Amino acid sequence: MPTITIDGRQYEVEEGQNLLASCLSLGLNLPYFCWHPAMGSVGACRQCAIIEYKDSDDAQGKLVMGCMTQVRDGGIYSLDAEPAREFRGAVIEDLMTNHPHDCPVCEEGGECHLQDMTEMSGHTYRRFRGLKRTHRNQYLGPFINHEMNRCIACYRCVRFYRDYAGGDDLEALGRNNQVYFGRQCDGKLESGFSGNLVEVCPTGVFTDQTFSRHFVRKWDLQTAPSVCEHCGVGCNTAPGARMDFSGRDENLRRVVNLYNRDTNGYFICDRGRFGYEYANSDLRIKNVLIARREQVIESTGRRNDKLHREIEPPAALEHLATVITDSQRGRRRLVGIGSPRTSLENNFALRQLVGPGNFFAGLSARDLELLHTLDHIQRDPRISIPTIPEIEDADVILVLDEDIGRTAPRVALALRQAARNNQRDHARQLEIPLWQDACVRQLRGENNPIFVLASSAPASLEDIARAQRLASPAAIVSFAEQLAARISATDQPTTTDGVDSSSTPLPDALEHLLEEVAETLLSARRPLVISGCGSQEPDILAAAGQVAAALADRHGAPCATYLTCPETNSLGLAQFFGPGEGGLEQLLEELRQRDSVDPPVTLLLLENDLYRRLPAADVESLFDRAAEVVLFDSLLQPCSRRADLVFPASATPESQGTLVNSSGMLQRHYMVYEGSGYIQESWRWLVDAVNDPACSDVGMDSPAALLRQWKHCHDVTAAIAAAVSCFRDLPETGPDENFRIEGMKLARQSHRASGRTANRAHWQVAEQAPLTDPDSPFSFTMEGVQYAGATPLQANIWSPGWNSNQAIHKFQQGVGGPRRGREPIPRLRREPTAIPVLLAKQRAGQKPGQFCLVPTWQLFGSGELSNYSDAIAGLADGPCAQLNTADAGALGLEPGGRLQLRMSGAEITLPASVSDRIAPGVIGIPVGLRAAPDLGAMLPAAAEIVRIENPEPVEPGESL
Amino acid sequence: MSSTIAADTIEVMEQQDTDPRSAGRSLTAEEKRDIDREFSHYEDRDSVALEALRVVQKHRGWISDDTLYAIADYLAVSPTQLESIATCYQLIFRQPVGKEVIFLCKSSSCWIMGCEKLQRHLEEQLGIRPGQTTPDGIFTLLETPCLGDCDKAPVMMVGEEMHRHMSADKLDEFILEKKKHHADQSAD
Repeated sequence: MPTITIDGRQYEVEEGQNLLASCLSLGLNLPYFCWHPAMGSVGACRQCAIIEYKDSDDAQGKLVMGCMTQVRDGGIYSLDAEPAREFRGAVIEDLMTNHPHDCPVCEEGGECHLQDMTEMSGHTYRRFRGLKRTHRNQYLGPFINHEMNRCIACYRCVRFYRDYAGGDDLEALGRNNQVYFGRQCDGKLESGFSGNLVEVCPTGVFTDQTFSRHFVRKWDLQTAPSVCEHCGVGCNTAPGARMDFSGRDENLRRVVNLYNRDTNGYFICDRGRFGYEYANSDLRIKNVLIARREQVIESTGRRNDKLHREIEPPAALEHLATVITDSQRGRRRLVGIGSPRTSLENNFALRQLVGPGNFFAGLSARDLELLHTLDHIQRDPRISIPTIPEIEDADVILVLDEDIGRTAPRVALALRQAARNNQRDHARQLEIPLWQDACVRQLRGENNPIFVLASSAPASLEDIARAQRLASPAAIVSFAEQLAARISATDQPTTTDGVDSSSTPLPDALEHLLEEVAETLLSARRPLVISGCGSQEPDILAAAGQVAAALADRHGAPCATYLTCPETNSLGLAQFFGPGEGGLEQLLEELRQRDSVDPPVTLLLLENDLYRRLPAADVESLFDRAAEVVLFDSLLQPCSRRADLVFPASATPESQGTLVNSSGMLQRHYMVYEGSGYIQESWRWLVDAVNDPACSDVGMDSPAALLRQWKHCHDVTAAIAAAVSCFRDLPETGPDENFRIEGMKLARQSHRASGRTANRAHWQVAEQAPLTDPDSPFSFTMEGVQYAGATPLQANIWSPGWNSNQAIHKFQQGVGGPRRGREPIPRLRREPTAIPVLLAKQRAGQKPGQFCLVPTWQLFGSGELSNYSDAIAGLADGPCAQLNTADAGALGLEPGGRLQLRMSGAEITLPASVSDRIAPGVIGIPVGLRAAPDLGAMLPAAAEIVRIENPEPVEPGESL
Repeated sequence: MSSTIAADTIEVMEQQDTDPRSAGRSLTAEEKRDIDREFSHYEDRDSVALEALRVVQKHRGWISDDTLYAIADYLAVSPTQLESIATCYQLIFRQPVGKEVIFLCKSSSCWIMGCEKLQRHLEEQLGIRPGQTTPDGIFTLLETPCLGDCDKAPVMMVGEEMHRHMSADKLDEFILEKKKHHADQSAD
């Protein structure tokens, strides 16, 4: 490691790094704007000037830009030398000439990098008395506010948006002193990563519009580490909450990225950032609700809908306790339905209460089969699951029918970085340091090969894919099988015949690609296979597993394989069930076959909207067969209409728990703020019921009695670890509630938090006793450890002089390194099962004239919880049938027409949406929409078009 | 981009600040042919953007929003990317300009040699300020940084011709000549 001298002190620094990054890693304060740890240097702002001396005799030295100068072994530098300080002061004074004096009304104020750097450079007095240049702002959609007057033209926004995230609708416009960062005209920023502009911009040009509506300063937000609940990637977030004066107690104000190198680095997607508003929704359940007895007359509700009234929790708990006691005496059957969108703790508590035999996953058999297939592949020792940096390191990528940009957006962003690895290799050959961003991007040459096979065009891969082919799922499965056979061909020439003969012949477009993909994958050093549950087709997963296993065999090393799960805890939930167990269909079948002498059934439904899992008729049928339905949920969702008793459950940022992401990583989220009203974790409601006097008859030998021992969340966590072997590392996800640093808890509030007494002064002037947190080492006040350097659990990224999120470098092991003190994320400890070769089942194919119905995904619209967030709800498209242009032409479908589709057992009519973004012979149906939640439950399927309704029907009733 | 221009000169832009995908825009066969010729000089299609803007401006005098969208479509680049190029270069006009665009050099040599006085004279004679066009649609006055002809200061550029060692008399002569030229043309 080179040794350098800065202002008379010697330091060892990382070789090849630039001076700015080295200084920051050493903990020295050097101001900068245009440099970003994930995006490197361009030398645009001239803010990080330092003096470099030729040798120890050189008293004058020369001015160099820290971000553009590589460290030199033996180099002598000065940050404090007067010429350097003066230069930096002059640069910031110049940048500030046009910057408005609007800090008090600017949302960046208090966490503004520009404020910090201005202070740091000592520019505290303005001499400029001239007119400032002004700009008109643009409408950029429902997420981002635009305030161009604040811009200091550091170019970070376009470097992130265009260069890093591949967006093409934000650019630097104009020139000279009039440079403008915006779109060609008003309109929503199209990239799914636009929210990162809020964090990337060093000042207040781009701010969070949802946060504006209930703004508070960063120092007044209380925060704790959390995990995003809007997909299976498991990005780490730092939600911020604050007391609200509109009578809503505390509410969630915003979500920002929380640096975790392995899951999300510096960036999250817009669904994760703006989806939080569901927690503030008017549909939140805050009290215990009970169905009214009286018949509903003249109501607009549907059959069997129930109207509810509020009830005091003790009465509700007594009722639940009675039901539990009855079940212990065999007078009632308790059935628990779990959920993939809530923690292991909640699911496990329910499973423990009702017993494993009465616990169901809350997923359809098909969804569970998908998860088990995925789980099975991941268990194979030939498969390795990559972290985000490992994905960014891949050199050849194969994507099999997974719309990764919409189902796991953060992974798609990592793929975009992987596409540039050839360019980086080229730069290394030319001895250009990789942080020289503009130089490296200047190098021409081909992207790293990314091959995409999909039934509908995936988001954000088109411009980086070497080849993107649209084909039916069956053709993709067949392609992957033949690919796997070809990859292992030279080793086992005999096995290829069997596979080849059973496969359907490939369309020409795929046939030609086969050879190229096989050769490229074989020559790859770090190949990566991507697929997932998005196609809802286990064969696709199995085929992806085959390709990865074949590659691993040939390379003699595990093959990186990223398989996406649909929800935040899908993979964790699946671990509670063996193959073929726990599907909702099984429950429905059991209930259908119930004898009249069997005890009545009480369904305990945990944070799950079953209308998204099964066709609506089946869900109704399930509820019809239960004597009683008890719902635990955070939102009044469709199932609450059928519930007899509803308990208010906490949203993810209101609770502590563990989630298992698609990579099998076990991650704990902590309570950021206490939910209002009677909201508490679902597991706590169950524990409270078991502790109710009405439950005193439940004997200590009963499994349900275990719940009595749980006082803290960590108790549940430990119980899971003890009961289910793959979760045995769960306690490593975080310390228990007794953890202290020098006797102190960790503070959720900053040392500048204001209004402790004033917050509640409108009804009580006396200072309230602070809330206590029985579950975690966090306090709800400003008392305790605030410094993020003391523990990686502190989510308030702040350091003296560094109020913005840029402070993160103070807490990393080197720029872009892991957070200091942070252990690697524990993972599922699954028994390796050597899968021989997962032979894809050739499902009942479609007949001639039939179309293959496949699910398609929306970034904004397919996420259950985010659909309850205002900003996102407004962007969701309605249900439709997406059809290829050629197919539409052949069918005589006119624009604005509707399609009536017949599947086995169901018929649906949907407006048609015609484009080239869907494979011929395939009809895409957007799934997960709030307007049509159960469409996904019917897919994939073969269907025929029964009727085409053109806007002005030419031949009504025409049948094909 | 309208917002990058001083407030008193943006009326044209404001009216067109609408959906980029509005109908009724396409390039003529001649424009396409001229753009196609440029492709052979560049490695990829989007590198031709600046030349394409120049080519089309030659035919149309300036680049309207619709023209911009038409070129963006033809080059398969996003309108925002093309706008970024169009607004970066001084010689691409995103507003209507007169038939004669006067670039008056305002850099140090020309300043020493009295370009300020010259500008006042020009403004009085034409009745326009920088960024404006005369009502007859003949002259547009723009200021420019150094034109690289400092030894012949003060200078100005009109179209592709340079006017050197300028004085008030030479300016008057120039204005008369141009007015006459355009009067003749419209009479034809």
